[in-house]
Amino acid sequence: MADKPKLAIWKFSSCDGCQLTLLDCEDELLSVVGAVDVAYFVEASRETKPGPYDVSLVEGSITTPHEAELIQQVRKDSKFLVSIGACATGGGIQALKNYADVSDYINTVYATPEYISTLDKATPISDHVQVDFELRGCPIDKGQLLEVVNALLYNRRPNIPTHSVCIECKRRFTPCVMVRGIPCLGPVTQAGCGAICPAHERGCYGCFGPMETPNAASLGQWLLDKGMISEGDLVRLFRTFNSDAPAFRDASIHFEKEVQRDG
Amino acid sequence: MADKRNTTIEVDYLARVEGEGNMFIEIKDGELQELRFGIHEPPRFFEAFLKDRKFTEAPDITARICGICPVAYQMSSVHAMEDALQAQITPWIREMRRFFYCGEHIQSHILHAYLLHAPDFLGYESSIHMAADFPKEVEHGLQLKKVGNEIMEIIGGRAVHPINIRVGGFYKAPTRKQMRDIIPVLEKAREMARESCKWVATLPFPDFDRDYTYVCVHHPDEYAFSEGNIVSNKGLNIPASAFNDTFEEIHVEHSNALHCRFRDGGGCYHMGPLARIVNNFDQLPDDSKALADEIGLTRNVMNPFKSILARALETYYCTGEALRIAKEYELPEQPYIDLDVKAGIGHAMTEAPRGGLYHRYRIDDEGLIKEAQLTIPTSQNQAMIEDDLRDFVPKFMHLSDDKLQWHCEQAIRNYDPCISCATHFLNLTVKRS
Amino acid sequence: MADHHGAYCIDRPDFGSLFSALKKRGYSLVGPTVQDGAIVFDEIEAVDDLPEGWTDEQDAGTYRIRKRDDKALFGFNSGPHSWKKFLYPSETKLWSARRTEDGFEIEEGEKTIPQYAFIGVHPCDLRAIEIQDKIFMAPDTADPRYGRKREAAFVIALNCGQASKTCFCTSMGTGPRAESGFDIALTEIMGEGYHYFLAESGSERGHDVLRESGCRSAADIDFESAAKVSRQAVDGQIRAIDTNGIKEMLYRNYENKHWEDVAERCMSCANCTLVCPTCFCSKTEDEMSLDGEIADRWRYWDSCFTLDFSYIHGGTIRQTIRSRYRQWMTHKLAAWYDQFGSSGCVGCGRCIAWCPVGIDITAEVKALRESEGGKKNG
Repeated sequence: MADKPKLAIWKFSSCDGCQLTLLDCEDELLSVVGAVDVAYFVEASRETKPGPYDVSLVEGSITTPHEAELIQQVRKDSKFLVSIGACATGGGIQALKNYADVSDYINTVYATPEYISTLDKATPISDHVQVDFELRGCPIDKGQLLEVVNALLYNRRPNIPTHSVCIECKRRFTPCVMVRGIPCLGPVTQAGCGAICPAHERGCYGCFGPMETPNAASLGQWLLDKGMISEGDLVRLFRTFNSDAPAFRDASIHFEKEVQRDG
Repeated sequence: MADKRNTTIEVDYLARVEGEGNMFIEIKDGELQELRFGIHEPPRFFEAFLKDRKFTEAPDITARICGICPVAYQMSSVHAMEDALQAQITPWIREMRRFFYCGEHIQSHILHAYLLHAPDFLGYESSIHMAADFPKEVEHGLQLKKVGNEIMEIIGGRAVHPINIRVGGFYKAPTRKQMRDIIPVLEKAREMARESCKWVATLPFPDFDRDYTYVCVHHPDEYAFSEGNIVSNKGLNIPASAFNDTFEEIHVEHSNALHCRFRDGGGCYHMGPLARIVNNFDQLPDDSKALADEIGLTRNVMNPFKSILARALETYYCTGEALRIAKEYELPEQPYIDLDVKAGIGHAMTEAPRGGLYHRYRIDDEGLIKEAQLTIPTSQNQAMIEDDLRDFVPKFMHLSDDKLQWHCEQAIRNYDPCISCATHFLNLTVKRS
Repeated sequence: MADHHGAYCIDRPDFGSLFSALKKRGYSLVGPTVQDGAIVFDEIEAVDDLPEGWTDEQDAGTYRIRKRDDKALFGFNSGPHSWKKFLYPSETKLWSARRTEDGFEIEEGEKTIPQYAFIGVHPCDLRAIEIQDKIFMAPDTADPRYGRKREAAFVIALNCGQASKTCFCTSMGTGPRAESGFDIALTEIMGEGYHYFLAESGSERGHDVLRESGCRSAADIDFESAAKVSRQAVDGQIRAIDTNGIKEMLYRNYENKHWEDVAERCMSCANCTLVCPTCFCSKTEDEMSLDGEIADRWRYWDSCFTLDFSYIHGGTIRQTIRSRYRQWMTHKLAAWYDQFGSSGCVGCGRCIAWCPVGIDITAEVKALRESEGGKKNG
């Protein structure tokens, strides 16, 4: 490649874990930085080059007025924008505030609330600008990140499946935990993690967000009908790291109403 | 004239720190006027999210505060919950938690030492730039970091936001084969870690000694990670439950993170690898003590720039400790203990790579979290970082703005501030008006 | 006394001799073993690795293992794995290409062909293997990797002595007794003071192994006992599919409203297709090194329940869950006859037990038939 593509990495409200995933590609890191021009990556370098950038990887969700402005500029400066991680694609854990009164939250955490500037809701990047590709996960998977970088370098479609976690589970021959009595979001959650939770004898907690055509209502109802979960736990199960992803949001609200109706 | 200059140094986005911080320094007539180390990482309200969640969810939720040190969050939360439930873990669980912590300390220390901090000492913008001149060292660093991640994957399921941790133990025990296969990897890592200590010792350290109050967890029988009292080199010795009686968090306007200090007017304190080396030197095994001597890391080190040496030494220690645990590994009957849910209050402080992480929870009789307090290492160190800078800037006023800024950034990086953590919490601004 | 040529009895304490005879011939033994709360198929070394004294309790969307009152070695039914795990692995590197000065070189992905001995293949699974043979060993669609492993495999069938709630092999005509397609067929016979296996050879090599295992010849009474064992497996079945005219029934019910009902419950998670011992769909993906010097081609198990499966230029054909479930069931129970000359279902019940929300293929067939009322026959 004559011109190395310019890569920028941006951080919005997040834990840094998805950016760290790039630095966790120990075996591949030097070849990645050899193949691209790392133009903006504050976590790793003092040197910052101005845009435009060929590819921007965007971590985090939009939670402050400043972030809402900054993402517009990032979009303008980026030919191809990839949002990475559950915060960027589904609101992240901080989207839990969408279900509460933010002023209560500020009072809970900060002694001097008037110093804090925040928006009422934490929202995914795609609520603000056009996103060219979404890479899911809390955190994203190293192999999937390298696949996206590789695909972008060779101008091909990345092999990132959008089907259920179950397919990964079955490919590694883990006996289904749900059928053995452990509530699991695998059947409604997008693959990509390698189905690690069921392989550790626990149910999937949905950190890769909803799969394609999810049927979260069916899963939730079955868990309730079989007495495998309490209603409160079911609402909380859908309301963790992708609580602003529509399918999980709708399911959590649906079952919350059920709780209120029954209660 | 340099000594009468007016200048402002303003860094909106500090590089090579985890998360976003800023620095503002104003110098007028050669005198330091104002200095602020701020954290503008957006507020994320974890204490509020935790309210009315199940106690079992705390390790997974609090891990999301920080992608760099999720293990610390998981360890502090499980220990605090077990304290609230008055549950006693088994020796197997205890041992595997040490193994887990070794993985995170190796990963985080090497990330910071090689990828974030070392370039400062050698004048490179980044480790990527540094790799061109120091390919062998960067390669060693990456290989060591990988070993840390491998340990976390074995016991935690994955390196970032591990999934195998539960209040009361682990969901699944690693197989004998997994633990056997890591032994040769750790043996090799141990040699690399020794080389790494020797290389780090050759870096140029600015002449800058301070008189710190070092605070960390201390255990009489082992190099402490997660069990023991909170001690200082000035005589403090308290259980974790006395944390709030001893320390206070205050909210300052220029930062979204809270500042910590001694309640009794004792001022700010220093946490992290230097504190642990100083307070827990006696608990290091002989070979680690000998290596510390060899690389000039003394038990009363007071130069914050030498934190990189402490990280390198702890990395060496962790490879040895992980190796010991892997060699002695046996399968447990059950990798977790059964818990009786009841109302209670629990406290724990464990040692994140960058310092003590205190959690306090109050849970009700259904196991729902009613109150959560998370006091993170970067909050605890934030006041000390500003204090270092206030001492540092006048002493290094002769430097050009560029060099002064860089050294100030380096002085902040001495603490490996994890700003994403400091979410109740950086931009550098140096102003010489 | 009838001629029971090739039939022997192996007492439980001597059962290990069978393993020794197979190992001596260079086979890798694979069979049932307890792992992760289930009876799975994996590589085993000795009789001790078998699920001695374990059984399973299954129903729609549920599976548990528990201890039996006896020490049966094979006292269980279908588990989460099927034998396609070995013959048609879930992830296969097909080949690897490396750039050279004047083009590229191809290297075969599978370097060695394992020589498996399958221990304890239930009759339904035996039929499933036969069905996959028709796909992977047919001239037009042959997969040489499957063929090599299949031809090398030594098959020890296990005639069932019990049925789980999810079993319906009798209605599909696939069990509970193996008729052909094995090297050795075992029936586990237990009672007060005795525990032995009736071992019938189905091939010359099977006969050789049995002769060497030092067993006594079988007598009429052993066959009578074995028949009783099989009877229990027949009597224990509570589920069935009425296969009478099933192809025509499904073809004419393409627009039946009942598919909507299934779609409300079905999550399109694909579990049913992946546990099915006859489902054979796969996708191929290329993996490339960052420098573009090496490319590996992989084959992965796939499922007709994904959107990508029916993606062609312009979009995905089967957008709705309704259309995907209908596709799977209609293919399995109807179109399979046109394509391969038999049903694609062997009545093992795995899709019922391992559906996370307990969707039951036998109940859905029944519901479709009932929705037709008395209007149609069959």
